[in-house]
Amino acid sequence: MIHVDGLVKHYADLRRGQFVALGGISFHAEPGQIYGLLGPNGAGKTTALRILSTVLRPTAGTASVNGFDVLTQPSQVRHQIGFMSANTAVYDRMTAWEMVEYFGRLHGIPQSELTERMEGLFERLQMNEIRDLLGAKMSTGMKQKVSIARAVVHDPPVLIFDEATAGLDVLVARALLNAVAELRDQGKCIVFSTHIMREAEKLCDRVAIVHRGHILAEGTLDDLRKQHDERDLEELFFRLISRHDEAHPPETVAS
Amino acid sequence: MSFSNVKLILSREIRDQLRDRRTLFMMFVLPILLYPLLGMSFIQIQQFTEEKPTSVLVVGARNLGDAPRLFENSQFALELFSDPDMARLLELHFLRDEPPRPMAEQRDEAHRAVQAGQFDVALCFPETFAEEVEQFQQTIRRLATPSASGRNGESAELEINSRIPQPDTLYTTTSDKSSIAQNRLDEVWNHWNQRLIETNLTAVGLPVAAARPVELKRWDVAGETAYRGAALWSKILPVLLLIWALTGAFYPAVDLCAGEKERGTLETLLSSPAERSEIVLGKLVTIMLFSMLTAVLNLASVGLTGWLVFGDYPEFAPPPPVSVLWLAIALVPISALFSALCLALAAFARSTKEGQYYLMPLLLITMPLAVLPMTPGAELNLGNSLVPVTGAVLLLRSALEGSYLLALRFLPVVVAVTLAACLLAVRWAVDQFNSETVLFRESERLDVGLWLRHLLHDRQPTPTVAGAVFCAAAILMVRFFMSSALSPSPGEAFDFLDFARVNLITQLAMIALPALLMTALLTSSPRQTLLLRLPPWRTVPAAIVLAVLLHPVVNAIHVVVQELYPVSENLKATLRGMEQVLNSAPLWQLVLLIAVVPAICEELAFRGFILSGLRHVGHKWRAIVYSAVLFGLAHTILQQSLMACIVGVVLGFVAVQSGSILPAIAFHMVHNALQVSIGRLPPDWLDRWPVLNYLIRPVEGGYMFHWPVAAGVAALALMIWFGRLPYPKSAEEELQEAIERGSHEDDDGAVRVVA
Repeated sequence: MIHVDGLVKHYADLRRGQFVALGGISFHAEPGQIYGLLGPNGAGKTTALRILSTVLRPTAGTASVNGFDVLTQPSQVRHQIGFMSANTAVYDRMTAWEMVEYFGRLHGIPQSELTERMEGLFERLQMNEIRDLLGAKMSTGMKQKVSIARAVVHDPPVLIFDEATAGLDVLVARALLNAVAELRDQGKCIVFSTHIMREAEKLCDRVAIVHRGHILAEGTLDDLRKQHDERDLEELFFRLISRHDEAHPPETVAS
Repeated sequence: MSFSNVKLILSREIRDQLRDRRTLFMMFVLPILLYPLLGMSFIQIQQFTEEKPTSVLVVGARNLGDAPRLFENSQFALELFSDPDMARLLELHFLRDEPPRPMAEQRDEAHRAVQAGQFDVALCFPETFAEEVEQFQQTIRRLATPSASGRNGESAELEINSRIPQPDTLYTTTSDKSSIAQNRLDEVWNHWNQRLIETNLTAVGLPVAAARPVELKRWDVAGETAYRGAALWSKILPVLLLIWALTGAFYPAVDLCAGEKERGTLETLLSSPAERSEIVLGKLVTIMLFSMLTAVLNLASVGLTGWLVFGDYPEFAPPPPVSVLWLAIALVPISALFSALCLALAAFARSTKEGQYYLMPLLLITMPLAVLPMTPGAELNLGNSLVPVTGAVLLLRSALEGSYLLALRFLPVVVAVTLAACLLAVRWAVDQFNSETVLFRESERLDVGLWLRHLLHDRQPTPTVAGAVFCAAAILMVRFFMSSALSPSPGEAFDFLDFARVNLITQLAMIALPALLMTALLTSSPRQTLLLRLPPWRTVPAAIVLAVLLHPVVNAIHVVVQELYPVSENLKATLRGMEQVLNSAPLWQLVLLIAVVPAICEELAFRGFILSGLRHVGHKWRAIVYSAVLFGLAHTILQQSLMACIVGVVLGFVAVQSGSILPAIAFHMVHNALQVSIGRLPPDWLDRWPVLNYLIRPVEGGYMFHWPVAAGVAALALMIWFGRLPYPKSAEEELQEAIERGSHEDDDGAVRVVA
């Protein structure tokens, strides 16, 4: 479903010179699976997912979503995905209903089908009370619901969640995680990036531990625990990252 | 592109703007309130600011003698004013001269007083004034008597002139009030002078009417047509229209681009299936609608206020309704152009705050284009109509003044130019939306040292687009500042050696040097940047043949350009002088200076560094055209610039297709060599080789080629051959082609998913 192969992304950065945000990462995610990108802030998760959502272009390497190349067929790729990140906000001057309807129609869903689907969606996400509320008046949790509805309104085969629980309280975060799990059960291919171990443990079928633009370890959680002989994911994560930093002091990695 | 998506985005953006209270206020409420308020305050102020009196210092009033009455009750005599109320506005102060002082001293005092602003004007009558007036009258009388008529008229004239009495007025142009006072004084003086003339005429027994043999009567026929107030409105309305169309476009543009970036909704939109071009078009039309609406509301409000406040003044009579229609028609392309420009700028801005900063530069750049046509001499002609904005304003002005035929004649040209400008601006806006460095720009601390180190340290094989534009700008700047230093001052002798010196310095130091320096500093592969590669061998002779074939075509275009933009007489004289200087030199030196050196220097700069940088925009033709425009700008005379721009396109094409600088140099060299040598063809050659008559015919100052069309067709065939050559592409061009291939590969992809 998602094939990422040797993805490299450089940024020109005055302070750090040619900054390597992604140093060639590869992974594959399948339908009915939640693939977790687990890494500290600045690991390159957002860059990788922005490339998958075609808003950024890779410097080298390839990535394809449902058979479409992100570099040469961006518009087809965007039809395959629902993308939600901490950076994809909701419009201040639109109501929840208008916002979801707008994106549904951008995806070319016929009006009657769209209304039907939205009714179901608003029901399931318990959004009926914010239906006519302007984005500017919504709480963070409400906005997050609208974002989920917006991302899944066209029933895409692939969903990308980038730090989707950032800044949410426990209740809202939990509801969101449940929604993601539900989507997996519907057979969607999901990429889920986070820096929170608990979320990864609870949700992800496979994880890749990303640090400084490289994948340090990859596999199911059980695989990783066995390979590194460490039950506690947080310990494991910490060990991998410190080992990487010792082997590659930040200066040499960044230059 | 899907138009239903454009419509969708458009309706969302409009709704979004209409829900913004600030926008509503700026667009609708402000203009409706602003002008009536301004009009009201104008009336209010008008009531308080009646005309202020000005002060006049009179020196030597007693020297007036028994000349006609000038003063009366410490005022100028009332009969000296057309409107006696005006007498109040000139307050008289008489300089005391008790005890009597020398006149020179009094005059100095008056001089100082006016300079210091104590009085607005001073009027000084010399001690001998009365005598002089008397003597003058006697002379006149004497000359008028029959006994004196034997003298010849010329010496009589001389005698009279030497005796004209000359009092002084002192005023200063540093003070407006002083100038006003001087003008008021002029009126008094004219009337008084008339009195004197009448006295003199009566003295010699001539009727008073002799002083006014002819009287010019003035008729303003505009009043008989509907265009009485048009002269004023036709100047004010277009400028107002432009200002408001721009302002009305700017604020929504900033909100819809920089604002969306700031609020984080842009990434949401970009990851939706909407194409960049659909997003741009939807936003563009929104901005355009608001721009037009703002302009219309403001003009309507201005018109209404003007009509209410100034309705009584004939010069403010409203223009006829049909001209309002013209305004409306002109508004569409103007708004489109401004909207596209604003959109691109706003997309570039990181935040709304940054966006606001760009309004002033944008106004400063577009205003001259709008205001220049308002200068008295400017009129609608083909040359002017080819300039964006200026053409539209002139067209509008002609239409408002009622010259519809003239306006209609240039309508297609203006529309075409405006459309082309719009398309370019839209293209730019789409590019901004495609550029991830623009969309995800982060504010960085300004650090020149770091930035320079980054430039030198992280350089790429070829320069960036910004580097290319900077190089062109550097060349233009250096030339601008150095050209005045290098060109001969008027009247100075200028020989061929001087020309050679100027030309060599220009080419080597101002064109080649910046480009080479920047190549060395900013790129890691000078070979790739300057296209220093061996081309396929056939391309060099092909470029030479192309230059020969295109020569008649270029000449023909040159004639058209000269027709459109006639060279001023001054410039013609300079050019003729230059031609004489050039013709004094041996041909080989001329070819070396005008063909060989520029071919190498200009090609290295424009087809080397600049074009290589511009090719990172990802479209071959766009890079070629941009570089040609920059090449044109680097030529100082407008007519030369246009020609250089046209030839620059061919040069760029040859350089890109051959992947080497050599064919371009060859083309440039042959092209320039033909230009300088064709005029120097010995006249007897045509007789000696009659076959030449089939190719050229003598015209004033040189020769013209026959067959420009045939040569053009042959040249086109050769260009097609060039076009088929496989050529090295930039990474961005490869990517663009891959994207085009990719979107064709699976055109039904989108449909499949949606269904």
